[in-house]
Amino acid sequence: MNRMYGSMEPRVMDDDMLKVAVGEQGPREEAGQLAKQEGILFKDVLSLQLDFQNILRIDNLWQFENLRKLQLDNNIIERIEGLENLIHLVWLDLSFNNIEAIEGLDTLVNLEDLSLFNNRISKIDSLDALVKLQVLSLGNNQIGNMMNIIYLRKFKCLRTLSLSGNPIAEAEDYKMFIYAYLPDLVYLDFRRIDEHAKELAEMKHQYSIDELKHRENQMQIRQEEEQARRMKLEEHKMAFVEHLDGSYLFDSMYVEDVEGGKLSYLPGVGELVGAYKDKFVIICLNIFEYGLKQQEKRKAELDTFNECIHEAIQENQEQGRLKIAKFEEEHLMNLNTIREETDLLNIEKKIMECSEDITELFNVLMTLEMQLVEQLEEAINMFERNIIDLVGLFIENVQSLMAQGRDLENHHHEKLLEIAINTLEKTAKGELDEDLPEDVRALFVDKDTIVNAVGASHDIHLLKIDNREDELVTRVNSWCTHLVDKIHRDEVMRNCKRVKEINQYIDHMQSELDNLECGDPID
Amino acid sequence: MEVLREKVEEEEAAEREEAAERSEKMRPAEVWKEETPMTQEMLRDLEKKLSEMEIPTPADPLTFPKDTIDISMLPQSYKTNSPKEELMLQVADNFSRQYSHLCPDRMPLFLHPLNECEVPKFVSTTIRPTLMPYPDLYNWDSCAQFVSDFLTMVPLPDPLKPPAHLYSSTTVLKCQKGNCFDFSTLLCSMLIGSGYDAYCINGYGSWDLCHMDLTREVCPLTVKPKEKVKKEEKPPPKKYAIKPPRDLTSRFEQEQEAKRQEEIRAHEEKLRREAEERLLEATKMKPDPLHGLRVHSWVLVLSGKREVPETFFIDALSGRSYSPQDDHFLGIESLWNHKNYWVNMQDCWNYCKDLVFDLGDPVRWEYMLLGTDKPYLSLTEEDDDDLNDEDDVEALGKEDEDKSFDMPPSWVQQIEITPEEFETRCPNGKKVLHYQRAQLEKWAPYLNPNGLVCRLTTYEDLEYTKVLEIKEWYQNRGDMLELRHINKSTGLIIDYFKPGHPQALRVHTYKSMEPEMDRVMEFYEVARVDGLIKREETPNTMTEYYQGRPDFLAYRHIIFGPRVKKLPLNSTDSNPRPPVKITERFYRNPEKPADDDVAERVFLTTEERIQLRYHCRSDHITSNKREFLRRTEVDSKGNKIIMTPDMCISFEVEPMEHTKKLLYQYETMMQLKNEEKLSKHQAWESELEVLEILKLLEEEEEAHTLTISIYDTKRNEKSKEYREAMERVMHEEHLRQMEAQLDYLAPFLAQLPPGEKLMRWQAMRLKDECLSDFKQRLIDKANLIQARFEKETQELQKKQQWYQENQVALSPEDEDLYLSYCSQAMFRIRILEQRLNRHKELAPLKYLALEEKLHKDPRLAELLKVFG
Repeated sequence: MNRMYGSMEPRVMDDDMLKVAVGEQGPREEAGQLAKQEGILFKDVLSLQLDFQNILRIDNLWQFENLRKLQLDNNIIERIEGLENLIHLVWLDLSFNNIEAIEGLDTLVNLEDLSLFNNRISKIDSLDALVKLQVLSLGNNQIGNMMNIIYLRKFKCLRTLSLSGNPIAEAEDYKMFIYAYLPDLVYLDFRRIDEHAKELAEMKHQYSIDELKHRENQMQIRQEEEQARRMKLEEHKMAFVEHLDGSYLFDSMYVEDVEGGKLSYLPGVGELVGAYKDKFVIICLNIFEYGLKQQEKRKAELDTFNECIHEAIQENQEQGRLKIAKFEEEHLMNLNTIREETDLLNIEKKIMECSEDITELFNVLMTLEMQLVEQLEEAINMFERNIIDLVGLFIENVQSLMAQGRDLENHHHEKLLEIAINTLEKTAKGELDEDLPEDVRALFVDKDTIVNAVGASHDIHLLKIDNREDELVTRVNSWCTHLVDKIHRDEVMRNCKRVKEINQYIDHMQSELDNLECGDPID
Repeated sequence: MEVLREKVEEEEAAEREEAAERSEKMRPAEVWKEETPMTQEMLRDLEKKLSEMEIPTPADPLTFPKDTIDISMLPQSYKTNSPKEELMLQVADNFSRQYSHLCPDRMPLFLHPLNECEVPKFVSTTIRPTLMPYPDLYNWDSCAQFVSDFLTMVPLPDPLKPPAHLYSSTTVLKCQKGNCFDFSTLLCSMLIGSGYDAYCINGYGSWDLCHMDLTREVCPLTVKPKEKVKKEEKPPPKKYAIKPPRDLTSRFEQEQEAKRQEEIRAHEEKLRREAEERLLEATKMKPDPLHGLRVHSWVLVLSGKREVPETFFIDALSGRSYSPQDDHFLGIESLWNHKNYWVNMQDCWNYCKDLVFDLGDPVRWEYMLLGTDKPYLSLTEEDDDDLNDEDDVEALGKEDEDKSFDMPPSWVQQIEITPEEFETRCPNGKKVLHYQRAQLEKWAPYLNPNGLVCRLTTYEDLEYTKVLEIKEWYQNRGDMLELRHINKSTGLIIDYFKPGHPQALRVHTYKSMEPEMDRVMEFYEVARVDGLIKREETPNTMTEYYQGRPDFLAYRHIIFGPRVKKLPLNSTDSNPRPPVKITERFYRNPEKPADDDVAERVFLTTEERIQLRYHCRSDHITSNKREFLRRTEVDSKGNKIIMTPDMCISFEVEPMEHTKKLLYQYETMMQLKNEEKLSKHQAWESELEVLEILKLLEEEEEAHTLTISIYDTKRNEKSKEYREAMERVMHEEHLRQMEAQLDYLAPFLAQLPPGEKLMRWQAMRLKDECLSDFKQRLIDKANLIQARFEKETQELQKKQQWYQENQVALSPEDEDLYLSYCSQAMFRIRILEQRLNRHKELAPLKYLALEEKLHKDPRLAELLKVFG
C-alpha cells in the first residue's frame, strides 16, 4: 500500500511517452515496418499499456477514441480523470495506484472489466453508468461498510468480484452476505462459489433479502408507472391536446383568478360554477378526443407517405443497381479485350467505345435519378397539400370547440354578474343573511367594484382559453411546417448524395480507363 | 317451292342420319324392339358378319381348368344350398319368369350362376362383405388397384353372354385369376366391407374395357399434375404511390406487334391441333362390330357413404375410376349388392349418361326383394314423409306375401389375404401393363435383387419401339435410391434419393459415372454440416451453392486448370487439378456494416490477383470494390517490397480514412491469402467428396443391398435368429421349471407336518427313507428285467423243444418261420441281457448319485453336514 514516493520523479503523460508506448506495442515484423513508414494514429490504437511509468496524472488520452483496453497499473495515480473520451473502453486496469474515490467513469458505458485493486478506495459508488460490468476487482482497499455490497446488486452482468484485503472481508459474515445479496455472482475473491454455500447463505439472509427485493420491486413498479405516464403525456403532446382530458384547463382558469375565488362564496355561485365546470370539461374532453383522432389520421397519412416514398426509392435503386451490374459485366469484358489487344489503333478505338459506354451509363443513371426526383416531388407536394388541409381542418374544429367554451364562459359571466348585482342590491338593503368573509364583503362596496371584479375574473378566464388555443394552433402549425421542411430537405439531401455517388463512380471508372490508357504504352 | 323441297329433303336426311346413328348405338333394354323394322337382308348381313367374326373361344369354356380347383376341400356351404337359399332361388326364378314375360325382348337376367361345385347360387349371396385388416385397403382407390394388381384377367368365354359360372372370391383369390365378374364381385365385397355403398353391375362395355386394353389410355403416371397458376394479387396502389414515368412508345406499333404475335400463335395453335387430330386418328381403332353387345361387369359406388361426393364407376379390371358419363360404359342390365338385386328399366340409348342411380325409384329400377333398408326414392322432405307412410302401409300389406323375405347370408367363406400375398400383390409378383405409348411393369418388393418395384417406359410411337424415357422406382435400397429417371433422347440420368443417404444426396443428375463430367448433385442441406445445397460440375468447373452457414457463404465457383504432370514418385497421391479461378459469394452478414461486408471475392490464382466486391448499402446503388495485386516482391535496390499503394486498387463509395492505410491493406491482404489457401483446400475436398460419392454409388449399384425393416419379421434374418434363440431359451427355461416342480423329496416331505422346520433326526430318516425307496426301485427294475429275460429264454427253450420233436414233419415255410422266430428271440434275449448288465453296472452309481444329491439338497444339507 505504502509505496515509496520520490524514488523516481512523477512523470507526465506527454506525447512522447504515448508515442513510444504505441510504437513498442504496435504491429511486428513486416507490418511493423509498414507501420513505422506511415506512423500510427492514436485513434487507430486498440490497446495501450502504460504500467510502471510513475504516472501521477492521467492526461493526453483524448485522441485514443477507439481504445478498447487500457492498462495504467502500478503508477501513482491519485484521481481517475481524463478518460471521458474513451467511450469504447472495455477493459480498464487501474490497480496499484493511489486512488481514493471512484469517479470519472460515467461515460465508459462499454466497460466490462474494471480493476481497482490495491488503492485507497473506501466506498463503492459512481459506477452507475457501467451497465455491462462483468468483472470488478476491488481487493486491497479500504472498504469498511457492508452496505456497499447492496449497491452492486444493480449490475446484472457482474459475475466476478474480488474484495479481499478490505476491512469488510474480515467480518465473520462476509462471504455469506455476498453470496446472499449477489446471487448471480460466480467467482468471489478468485474462487468459484459453491452452490451449496450459496443456498445456505440464501436461507440465512432470506428475510432481509425478501424485504429488499420487495422494496426493489416496488421501486421498479413505480418507475414503470412513471414511465407509462410520461409516455402517455408525450403521446398527448404529439396530438397537441395534453391536459385536456380533465378539468386541468378549468382549474388553471381559477388559479390566478382571485376575484373568481372570492365570488364563489356568493349564494348560488357554487352550483353555477359546478355546472359550468361540468360543461366546460365536456368540451375539453371533446377537443381531446378529436385531437387524438386527428393525430392518428395524420400519423397514418405520414406512414403511408413514408412507405410509398421508401418503396419508390428502393425500386429506383434496384434499377440503378441492375444497370450498374450489367454495365460492369460488359465493362470487365471490354477491359480484358483491351488488355489482350496489341494493335494500338484498335486499342484506341476500344477505349473510345468504353468511354462512350461510361457516358451512356452516366446518362442512364442520371435519367433514372431525375425521373425519381420528379416522381417524388409530385408525391411530396401532394402529401404537403393533404397534411396542410388536415391540420387546417383540425385547427378549425378546435377553434369552433374553443368558441363553445368561450360562449360558456360568457354565459357564466352574465349569470355571475346577475347574481353579483342581486347580492349587491341585497347588501345595500341589508337583507343578506349569509355571512361572507371580510374580503368578499369588501367587493360589495359599490356597483363598479363588483362589476370590475366580475369582469376581471371573466377576462382572466378568457385569456386562459385564448392562450391554450393559441398554443395549440402555433404548435400544430409549427409541427406541420417542420415536417414539410424536413421532407423537402431530406429529399434534397438524398438527391445530392445520389448525384455525388453517381459522379464519383463514373469518375472512378473513367480514371481507371485513363490509367489503362497511360499504362499501356509503357508496357 | 324449290327451297321448300330442299328443306324437306334436308329434314328427311337428318332423320335418316339420326336413325342410322341410333341403330349404331346399342341399347340393351330396347335394342331388339327398336330393330324390328330390320329387313331380312340386313339380318342376313348381320348373320354373315357374325359368322365371319372369330370369337376367341378358349379350348376350355371354363375360366379355370377343372382340375385346379380342389372341390373336396371346400366347406359344405359351397356344395349345397341351405333351405333359405333354395327359397331364394325359387324367388329368383319366379322373378325371372315374370321378367321374361313382361320384357320378352331383353336378355335373360344374370341371377344364379353355378359356383365351382356346380351348385346354383344367387349372385347377391356371392358377395361377402369383408373389411381387410390392411389400412392400405381402406380406401376405394387402393382397393381397386389391389384387385386389379392381384388378379389376372381372363376374358369371358362368350363375350356376348354373362358367364355360366361365378366362383366364390376365395377360390378366385387362390387361383389369382378371373373374369370381369369375379373381379367386380371381389372388389364389391371389399368396398362394402369398408363401408362404401357399392354395387356389382352386369352391363355392356366397350372393347377396350372388356379386354382391359389400356393402350388408348394415357398412363396415369405420365400425366403431370397441372400446376396451379397462382395469380398474384396486386395490392391496390397506395395513396402516395408514385406515378410511372410517361410511356413514350408508340401505341400503334405495339398493337401491330401484338397482332403479329397473335397470328403466329394462331398458326402454331392450328398446327398443334392438326397434329393432335392426326394423332387421335392414328390411335382410334377400327369400329367394333360387337359394339354395345359385349357383356362386362364393373362396380358402381353411390354417393353418400364414406363421404363420397359423387356417384362413380370403378372398372375392377384396370382399377380405374370413371364418371358415369364415360363413353366406355354402354349400358346396364342389372345391378346387385349383398342385400338386393335391381333391374334397370331405363333406356340406355345414350349409354349410361342419362341413367339416374336412384335405386328407390321403382319405375327406373325394378327391385327383387322388398328389403327393409332399401334406398328410398329421393324426393323433397315433405313428400318423403308421405311416401314413407304409404310405403309402410304397402310394406305391411306385402309382408304377408313371400316378398317379406331378406337375403340369405353369403355362402362364401371369409375372404382372407395373407400378408405375403398382400405384399406380393401381382401373380408371381410381376405384372406388365400397356398404356398409350407407355409400358408399366410392376414387381413385388424384394423380388428384384436391386430393389426395383416399378418401371415406366415411355415410347415415342404407338408400336413401342422407340424408347423416350424410362422411370424406375426402387424400394428398400441401401443407398436410399427412390427413383431413377433415364431420358433416352438426351442421355441424362436423374436419380432421386430419400433422406438418409450417407452424404445426404437428394438428386443426382448425370450422363456418366465418370468423374469430372457434367453432373448436378443436390443435397438435403439440413443434414449436411457444411450446408451444401447443390453442386454442379462441368468438365472444368465446379459450382457449389450453400445455405445457412455461419460464414454466410452462398456460392462457390471454381474453374480448374489443366492437370499438372506429376513425377511418378508420388503417383500414389491423388493428383488434383489446380484451381485457376475461385469465385465466392456471400450473403449479407447483418452484424457488419454493408460497406465492410464482402459480397463477392474472386481469387485469380495464376495472376495472384484478388478481387473483392462488397455489399451495397441500402441507400446506395454502387458498392465498394477492392483489388489486390501481388507482383514483384523485390524493388530495384533488391529490398523486399512489402506493400505499395498500387498493389491495392480500391473504389469506395464513401471514402474512409483507415482503409487508405497501407497497414490496413497489408493486413487485409494477408488475411485474404490465408483464405485463398482455405478455399483451394475446400475445392480439393469437394473434388474428393465427389469421387467418394461416385464410388459409393457404384459400389451400391453392384452390391444391391436391400435394407430390411426391423419390423419385417419374415425377412429380417437377424431378428429371426434372435427371436428363435429367445424362443429356445424360453423353452428351456420352461423345461427347467417343469423339472423343478418335480420334487423327488415331495412324497417323503408330505408325511411330515407342513410348515415346520426339519429336525436332524427327521432329516436323517428322510434321507434313509429316500435312499431305501430308491434302492427298492432299482431292485424292482432289475427283477423286472430278469423276469422278462427268463420268460424269453423259457419260451425259446419251449420252441426249440417243439422244433426238435416235430422237425421231420415240418414244411419248409414253418421251418423258415421257426428260424426267424429264433433269431428274433435271440436278439431280444441279448438285448435284455445287455440291459440287465448295464442296470447292474449303473445301479450303484445312481444310488451314490442320489446320496450325493441328498447331501447337497438345500433342505437337508445343513442338517446332514453337521452329522457327516
